[in-house]
Amino acid sequence: MTSIGTGYDLSASTYSPDGRIFQVEYATKAVENSGTAIGLKVKDGVVLAVEKLIHSKLSVPEANRRIQTIDRHIGLATAGLLADGRHIANRARDEASSYRDTYDAPSPLKNLAERLGLYTQAYTLYSSVRPFGISTILGAFDKEGPSLYVIEPSGVYFGYNGAAVGKGRQLAKTELEKLKLSELTTKEAVYEAARIIYLVHEDAKEKEFELEISWIGQETDNVHLPVPRELQQDAEAKAKAALETFE
Amino acid sequence: MADMVSIPHSQPQQHQFNPYTENGGTILAIAGADFSVIAGDTRQSEGYSIQTRYAPKVFRLTDKAVLAVNGFAADGNMFVKKVRQRLEWYRHAHAKDMPIRAIARLIQTMLYSRRFFPYYVYNILGGIEEDGTGAVYSFDPVGSYEREACRAAGAAQSLVQPFLDNQIYFKNQTPAPGTSFPGHLSLSTVLSLVIDSFTSATERHIEVGDGLEMYIVLAKNSPSIQSLRDIRGMSELTATEDGERVFVVRRDLKKD
Amino acid sequence: MSIAAQTDSCPRQPIVTGTSVLALKYKDGVMMAADNLASYGSLARFKDIQRLHPVGKYTVIGAGGDMSDFQYIQKFLEQLIIEEFTSQDGHDLGPAQIHEYLSQVMYSRRSKINPLWNSLLVGGFKDGKSFLSYVDLLGTTYSATTLATGFGAYLAQPILRKEVEGRENELTEEEAIRIMESCMKVLYYRDARSLDKYQLAVITADGVKISESRHLSTTWSFAEGIRGYGAQTQ
Repeated sequence: MTSIGTGYDLSASTYSPDGRIFQVEYATKAVENSGTAIGLKVKDGVVLAVEKLIHSKLSVPEANRRIQTIDRHIGLATAGLLADGRHIANRARDEASSYRDTYDAPSPLKNLAERLGLYTQAYTLYSSVRPFGISTILGAFDKEGPSLYVIEPSGVYFGYNGAAVGKGRQLAKTELEKLKLSELTTKEAVYEAARIIYLVHEDAKEKEFELEISWIGQETDNVHLPVPRELQQDAEAKAKAALETFE
Repeated sequence: MADMVSIPHSQPQQHQFNPYTENGGTILAIAGADFSVIAGDTRQSEGYSIQTRYAPKVFRLTDKAVLAVNGFAADGNMFVKKVRQRLEWYRHAHAKDMPIRAIARLIQTMLYSRRFFPYYVYNILGGIEEDGTGAVYSFDPVGSYEREACRAAGAAQSLVQPFLDNQIYFKNQTPAPGTSFPGHLSLSTVLSLVIDSFTSATERHIEVGDGLEMYIVLAKNSPSIQSLRDIRGMSELTATEDGERVFVVRRDLKKD
Repeated sequence: MSIAAQTDSCPRQPIVTGTSVLALKYKDGVMMAADNLASYGSLARFKDIQRLHPVGKYTVIGAGGDMSDFQYIQKFLEQLIIEEFTSQDGHDLGPAQIHEYLSQVMYSRRSKINPLWNSLLVGGFKDGKSFLSYVDLLGTTYSATTLATGFGAYLAQPILRKEVEGRENELTEEEAIRIMESCMKVLYYRDARSLDKYQLAVITADGVKISESRHLSTTWSFAEGIRGYGAQTQ
């Protein structure tokens, strides 16, 4: 890497001569090494899915979840450093709670994404801190309907119809683009999400992984919940079957 | 100070919030040679209203110590909660239950620490000392305490304590010529006295009644166990293998 | 005196108040009742106020006393429930936990001489078990198969005890409704701070249900015949 040894990559508060902040780019690298996380905004809800790579056979199934709940109606999936994901989730919970306190209403995702974007960006300004090594997918069902945002380590955030971060994001995005997201139901989206995660995992087949899927929408009374066990099992079975016939 | 004039209150006096109330009921404990009995009724009241017919005032702390708490119920429950917390910390630190002598001093410290906003409760601690003797410690709300052979407290203290003085300390009694009073009473005698105390208090005091809970703590290998065999409504609560044993007897009292 | 000093340590008094809350245990769970009135002193100020409030999936709290303090309680319990939900640890708060939490809050506020001026009933049903308990501004707690706050403690509790005690496991929902209705009627006749519009909450294995407002039909023609006080002299 061209940045190494130049001295411009030692602090988040230092620009390189061509105007880059290498610490932020390194944070992005941390995300790229992580198992894929995707989000689908569909007709009547949002689906989040994560390819959680298992680093040890000794770890407890379903431990170290990468999909977390922020408020009744908000879910969050991260790719990158697990602990950074937990920190950002706690911050998001505080933000959502404080919004409720002030306005006596659930936080719109737009608002939460902005607050978290601002927070993330603050960690790219100072030499005393390290930018977050995560990309965050936020999904919610708020007064505007379903919504989906991604926050990058730099603090930029965008709204999406379909989002993918982490190792397999390129292939995942290609697959998401093939879908008519606005016509899918959340239930159909669960199957698509499972299929995509299984598909992008093909490249890292030697590693075991666990699929995490959650949804928010009509099916769940607009509450962020893990999808029911039977549905997830069925979606995984279908995803495995689809792999056989893919391409 | 001649020019100081007292200005009469032009506004109606704001009534002060009173953080205390009195929830009635009575507790009592009697120590024997190798046992201790700690009892309380289960009625909780405020004014002329019975809030509930079953609110325990007597609590097993360890297999050697039972605490009865009477007065302001909210303070009482909080106080018991805090004592139990301290006993648990002691257990974690020392891998044994705190001796009753130490619990007594702990309670005095905890009560006195609130000297200027007291727990409005009268405590009676009963159990077995490390030397195997039956013990009763009684406290005032700010922590004054002493070890005694018996003590009644609460709403019917003034009815029960004189009865106990007469029957346990043999006050105002003279032994028949050539005889003397027994040094210690048997468990069965003590239990009868406790039951009589509460049935009488129930008759004469409106805040006493509904139910009676008697805790019995026996020293290691106490022969008094014999007299417990045929007690109606008894169950054992012993939790450790230390040797001391705790029992509870529940009885109905009149509900009127 | 500044607002800050007033709320910080000085004693306050309840302003907009609710009156009695009633509750009983029956065969399938717990039933609670409270009227829809929030009074401003002797003025019947708000006549469509809900004093029964669901907390989580298994619990209802009913409040008498200061209504703004009650709204504050509703708010922080909502936050508590969300915190518990977002932790996604497979545990959720039942009525017993909510009652204990409320008790600690009420007691610590009274200990700061800045009480939340309420009498609260906490009723619920979880894991096949009914729960019914009381807590007030002093932090005093107790439970029983029938409970009543405020004037209800004098007027309704004797009726509730007579009808319910010893029959908790046989009383049907219909009977329970009838008992509640008769108690609410007694309260409406005798409590000047009550209303003939009230709600019922039932908490059973099926969850929490809070009824629409119900109306009490009452007769006042007997008043004509009353002599000895009031306007009539003979």
